[in-house]
Amino acid sequence: MSFRIDRRNFLMGSSAVLAAGAVGLRPAFADDVNLRQIFWGSKARADRTNGVNDLFIKANPATKIATEFYAWNDYWPKLATMTGGGNAPDIIQMDYRYIVEYANRQAIAPLDAFVGKEIDLHDFDQDQIDGGKVGGKLFGISLGANSVASIVNTAAFKEAGVAVPDNNSTYDDLAAAGEAFKKANIRGGMKAFQDGSGVEPLLENWLRQQGKALYTADGKLGFDADDMVKWFKLWKDLRDAGAVVSPDDQALDTGPLDQTMVVLGKAAVTFANSNQLVAFQALMKDPATIAAFPRMAKGSKGGHYRKPSMFWSVANASKLQSDSAKYLSFFINDIGANKVLGVERGIPAAAAVRQAIAPGLSAQDQVALNFVSNLGDLLGPIPPPPPSNAGEIDIDLLLKKSQEIAFGQQSPEDGGPDFVKQANDILARKG
Amino acid sequence: MTVSPLDAGVPAATATAEPSLWLKFWRRNGAGYGFLLPWLIGFFGLTIGPALISLYLSFTDFNLLQAPSWVGDANYLRIFTADPKFLQALRVTFFFVVFSVPLKLAFALAVAMLLNRGLKGLPIYRAIFYLPSLLGASVAIAVLWRQLFSGDGLINRLLAMIGITGPSWISNPRYALSTLVLLSIWQFGSPMIIFLAGLRQIPRDVYEAAAIDGAGRGRQFWSITLPLLTPVVFFNAIIQTIDAFKSFTPAFIISSGTGNPINSTLFYTLYLYQEAFGFFRMGYAAALAWILLIIIAVFTGISFLTSRYWVHYDD
Repeated sequence: MSFRIDRRNFLMGSSAVLAAGAVGLRPAFADDVNLRQIFWGSKARADRTNGVNDLFIKANPATKIATEFYAWNDYWPKLATMTGGGNAPDIIQMDYRYIVEYANRQAIAPLDAFVGKEIDLHDFDQDQIDGGKVGGKLFGISLGANSVASIVNTAAFKEAGVAVPDNNSTYDDLAAAGEAFKKANIRGGMKAFQDGSGVEPLLENWLRQQGKALYTADGKLGFDADDMVKWFKLWKDLRDAGAVVSPDDQALDTGPLDQTMVVLGKAAVTFANSNQLVAFQALMKDPATIAAFPRMAKGSKGGHYRKPSMFWSVANASKLQSDSAKYLSFFINDIGANKVLGVERGIPAAAAVRQAIAPGLSAQDQVALNFVSNLGDLLGPIPPPPPSNAGEIDIDLLLKKSQEIAFGQQSPEDGGPDFVKQANDILARKG
Repeated sequence: MTVSPLDAGVPAATATAEPSLWLKFWRRNGAGYGFLLPWLIGFFGLTIGPALISLYLSFTDFNLLQAPSWVGDANYLRIFTADPKFLQALRVTFFFVVFSVPLKLAFALAVAMLLNRGLKGLPIYRAIFYLPSLLGASVAIAVLWRQLFSGDGLINRLLAMIGITGPSWISNPRYALSTLVLLSIWQFGSPMIIFLAGLRQIPRDVYEAAAIDGAGRGRQFWSITLPLLTPVVFFNAIIQTIDAFKSFTPAFIISSGTGNPINSTLFYTLYLYQEAFGFFRMGYAAALAWILLIIIAVFTGISFLTSRYWVHYDD
């Protein structure tokens, strides 16, 4: 059996466990393998994961898997607290942004010893293997490739009589679409785009098209104050022209998908990730599709990259590392399991799996698969993982600086240098 | 120097009778302490113990994953000399305390006086007015508030009916904090109940005497109700001030823990939470927590020191 914990049935479950303990029941036997698993994501992801767990248990009857899942924002405090308390689950969903930190602090285990034995990577994409390496050792098994992508409300574009953005759209096209939406005035003044000035992946994409980066390999800023002035200016002009949503509306977006501009119906485009098309569509009434982030000009390229959307890692403190490794291998290689998973976590990295599941995918999953497989000249090399403290620059500093400028408290000319100074302060901070 | 027999006797007595003194103490109080034991364990294990550990952590770098490392006063130094967000959090919190506490108390008192006029069905009204406080700190109310005050929420639709285009209250840095003050005032139930109890303590005959002397309603309020109610006002003010300093849930829900827009709702506790669980600087967060403790202690201390000049305890 597998048993699942979410916040709703946690109380019920824990009182049942207490009751079982009270009457002296022994729910586990000595030869059982009791794996614990933790991940972030939506209900849709949990259902798919639990489907895979049921298949794994059918193949390994002595195994039990206890699963917990949380929203992204709640996940990291929870995981850090568990890890700090010496109580980390065996199987941990890990993100590109955190893997270096967890690996360097020896919270997750190197998996190299299991490769070729418990873990089968024989037809796994090399870039996805490399993405899970820290200091030359494998700390995470990629659960699928994804890329940043614009989530596009196609119905709104048709209503406004504007061509739906595609992989060749430029920032000039964005401004033109904004103008056309303004004229069309559909759905009580819906705008073409969200305000992207506070979206870090969009900034990164824009920098990469100029051959720059967010962070260098040694963890310094890969851009300067002038770049930031240009960036904030670009969005100020779009804002002033009414091409993107108002600052008041944009500030409603505090992170969760249900507060994004495209879900709230304030704009026809939100900047997100390719694998999130599934989750966005679940929240939207209109049909959605994905397109690349805008190009700076026709033919400018290399902004996108295929990144491991997330990993499975194994806790360093786990006593069941080899059993966990078996589970990981099943998760990435079993055809039946991947038919359940689809592309919700990204495009599977094992070639045989990709071929086997492609025909059975829904039309929208096909869109996501094709998008990531056919980025063409948009594709560039994968950047090094961001340094520690970079998370604060992303979710706090960039967002707030973009708001200060949007609400007119600071000019782009002052905001650019200010941003770079504060970002350097954050990177230099140890504690 | 003359030694009184009592003084002389004590050392000798304790020297020989110490075991029996302990025994006496134990016989007299043992059962009491036995019954207190669960609370004592909780107090030392769950309150004092963790508090002392957090005091230690406030002098360290601690990220939960690795053992804490001692950094001396570096955290405190940074807070007081190089942390603009600390100042912003103080500004937000003081604004909130200064506006929400007096307004909430005034509102609670006004409703309590209204209910004290002997109208029928008082328990029902009392329950209805108390309801928001019961739900007050809950997530559901903050989510509801978010819906009411967003750009196309209920409030703006009502305003639109009379021709006013309202801003998006919760996502505009100019109004976001005031909206939270309003939310706090709306939860006036618990001070109201206490005021109501206080009003009932004031003897009727004092009002009758005042009425015979020709005092109007206003005069009666300022010269009788308010002075006789000051102990209750004092109690409510202290409790509400401490609560306001610690306010967390509404801001956390409405901004998803970001303190947005532009840190305009960055309550002190929210900043503390961000540092601890957003950026894993537990040591720094512990230092912030101790500073908040001291701020609250100072405010409570000042209230007690000044209370003798305005609180009447003549029974």
